[in-house]
Amino acid sequence: MNNSEPKIVAFCCNWCSYAGADLAGTSRMQYPANLRIIRVMCSGRVNPVFVLKALRVGADGVLVLGCHPGDCHYLTGNYRTRRRLSITMKFMEYMGIEPERIQVSWCSASEGSRFAEVVTEVTADLKRISPNRLFND
Amino acid sequence: MTREIEKKLRDAVRELLEKGTIDRIVGYEAGSLKFSTTPLITSNKADVDRLVINPFTHSNLSVFLRDLCGKVGIVAKGCDARSIISLIQDRQIARKDVFVIGAPCGGVIDLAKVEKLTGLDRDEVDDIVWQGEKAAITFAGSTQKFSAKEVLADSCLGCDPSDFKECDMLIGEIEPIVGGKELGQDRIREMEAMAPAQRWEFWKKEFSRCIRCYGCRQVCPACFCDRCFVEETEPRWISPLPKWQDNLIFQVVRMMHVAGRCTNCGECERICPANIPLGSLTKKMEEIVDELFQYRAGTDKDAPPLMAAYQPDELEDLMR
Amino acid sequence: MKKIKKQSIPELLEKWQKEFAVFVPSKASGVSQMEVWDGQDTAFLNRNRNTAVPPKEKFLPGMEKMFGFRKEEGSYVVEPTDGEPPKQLLFGIHPCDARAIGIIDMVFKDAYDDKYYLSRRENTVLVGMACTSPYDSCFCTSLGFGPADAMDVDIMLIDIGDAFLIEEVTEKGRGILAGAKGVIEATEKDEKEAAAARESANAKVSRKIDTAEISRRLPLVFNDREFWEEVSAKCVSCGICTFLCPTCYCFDINDEMLQDGSGARYRNWDCCSFAIYTRMPAENPREEKWRRVRQKVYHKYLFYPELFNVIACTGCGRCIRQCPVNWDITQTLSNLPAGSPGKAEEKKKAS
Ligand code: SF4
Ligand code: SF4
Ligand code: SF4
Ligand code: SF4
Ligand code: FES
Repeated sequence: MNNSEPKIVAFCCNWCSYAGADLAGTSRMQYPANLRIIRVMCSGRVNPVFVLKALRVGADGVLVLGCHPGDCHYLTGNYRTRRRLSITMKFMEYMGIEPERIQVSWCSASEGSRFAEVVTEVTADLKRISPNRLFND
Repeated sequence: MTREIEKKLRDAVRELLEKGTIDRIVGYEAGSLKFSTTPLITSNKADVDRLVINPFTHSNLSVFLRDLCGKVGIVAKGCDARSIISLIQDRQIARKDVFVIGAPCGGVIDLAKVEKLTGLDRDEVDDIVWQGEKAAITFAGSTQKFSAKEVLADSCLGCDPSDFKECDMLIGEIEPIVGGKELGQDRIREMEAMAPAQRWEFWKKEFSRCIRCYGCRQVCPACFCDRCFVEETEPRWISPLPKWQDNLIFQVVRMMHVAGRCTNCGECERICPANIPLGSLTKKMEEIVDELFQYRAGTDKDAPPLMAAYQPDELEDLMR
Repeated sequence: MKKIKKQSIPELLEKWQKEFAVFVPSKASGVSQMEVWDGQDTAFLNRNRNTAVPPKEKFLPGMEKMFGFRKEEGSYVVEPTDGEPPKQLLFGIHPCDARAIGIIDMVFKDAYDDKYYLSRRENTVLVGMACTSPYDSCFCTSLGFGPADAMDVDIMLIDIGDAFLIEEVTEKGRGILAGAKGVIEATEKDEKEAAAARESANAKVSRKIDTAEISRRLPLVFNDREFWEEVSAKCVSCGICTFLCPTCYCFDINDEMLQDGSGARYRNWDCCSFAIYTRMPAENPREEKWRRVRQKVYHKYLFYPELFNVIACTGCGRCIRQCPVNWDITQTLSNLPAGSPGKAEEKKKAS
């Protein structure tokens, strides 16, 4: 069964991706309204447990967005989150979670269009798979 | 042969204590049940004669190191030796505070496997001894021989003799046990052969038995946090109630935390009272860490911990 | 006395299933515990080893909803959990675990009316099965009963080969046997065999403790820090011995909230081996492991007897055989220093 309106939790870092989201908004770019954005200071703040908790309470997918490699305002936060979440993605696949549900991407403050694009793609991915019933009893 | 090694070990430890090279020793002594050993933690020379080495030295003794003060001698099997290195990498213990006594274990026997093979509980089995390459198990009035592969703990299959690094002393000869990295991976391949939804159902069923005793966390040398995330209440990450959903998240997050630290010592799986196949998870995590980072936990005391390091241009193919 | 052929048991269980949820020892879930009888399995009639998870969870579930609540006009409305728990029959409970329920009763039934516990307890019938093969960790015979004694059960079955000898212990027990097919009069030979089975089971329990000596020594060693530090050194402070102990009953209370402000209150098992168990904002009186290990021993062997005149341990041995490090309570109890801490000190120095 497909999911017509997936709920997506997006963790956006304050300096790049959140600003990118802002730009997409102020320039009135079209992107699906499925996103619930949670602003974090840096993508490096995103602990795997945030991701799992979002899925646990019903998000269909989680998107983590940070500055492009090399551009993190805390220098290495996104490198660390990249390691951490790569492991999370691989491991959750082993547990039996569809890889579409956990995604990581980069987006700068000036990339409003890229933000819209990534969100559109992730939404399309999640529409293809069924709603998150993983944690239903 | 074992007796000889034991004597060597006891003599060595006695001397170390006498000379003041170490303040206390962490080793194994005979346990109170059949085929069991129990940790012996002592600074008393008189206790040294109780030290043993045998195929039932299951515990990963490195879990005690953080709590012991002074210079500590520790009897270490291969996987334990790696856990010690990992603790040094994470600055949980200082290299100068441990004296590592490598004790090639020849592999420890997985009593759960023995129970499956014999259809009996461990206390109903009469005897288990190595006869050359085979384990001779006496039960129900007769003796049967089993190959090492059948009775050794999964963690021992594929154990690498070169793991004995940072040993300050070695008792006995290091011999490869049953080599081959691929051994012990069968269960991962089996799991991967299932469809994702099936895998999720499998783990759901397994974790619905978890009683949240936290035994897996407590025996694990890589779980060294003073305050575990499950105990945090502001915010509360997972429910303290043993619901399968939260049990599963607990274990998954624990696996993330021990990635690059876990040496696949097998302790969490061995002691889980709910018989949850945690070794399948630790083994998979080991594989992921190897595949993505060509990293093997606890092999280089000077290397930065896996999660504290990065390469600028890695893993981009996994990003959207 | 009466008896019943083993082959007649399935029919009897079927009959009971009409009235009760019938639980039997089973490994079907992946761990040995009491499970709903599937109508097929008879393995437990012959291979009679105690379950890893004790049946206490049928009275004190690992997680139990106490009541729900929702917000209404600035206040909360409590929604009681509905109805009585279903009637249940535990078939094949071992004497140690039945005794344990008798011991927990003192807290939840005698000292305080715990309605959650009581409603389950009152809706339960216990069909005991005498132990024929105790584990090497069992020590029940040191605690005032044996592996074939009919205490705290409604009926007791003793294995005599192809049949069970039946001891009717309570009215409830007599009631559920009324009109049961296959129940016949036992012969003198059967009774002799049962007596022999009891003897042999008793003899198989080789682990012993001396409770009189323990009660004499325990009050004297409370402050012997050195002793407790030594015996607790290898404990890793997990919850295994507590959660698998048939007499450990501590619980924690937790609210699960939903976003709209409604939710439910639950209780779940708790464990005094966890440092967090006594953690308070200002301090933790049992932060150190030796204090927690001491607490465990004292609660079972001193505080409980002071309150209820019975030791809160039935010698089931689970804490010994399931402990990750083989921490053995019988060893600690047998090694309690004799005399006051001061004397114990002296003795140690002299030796
Ligand atoms: S040891 Fe097993 S039962 Fe205990 S918390 Fe870990 S997974 Fe759950
Ligand atoms: S599960 Fe994680 S937070 Fe908890 S002790 Fe282990 S490493 Fe620390
Ligand atoms: S996670 Fe399990 S296998 Fe890995 S180090 Fe910890 S106890 Fe050993
Ligand atoms: S005695 Fe054993 S089972 Fe009990 S808390 Fe200590 S290590 Fe865990
Ligand atoms: S500040 Fe954007 S990833 Fe670190």
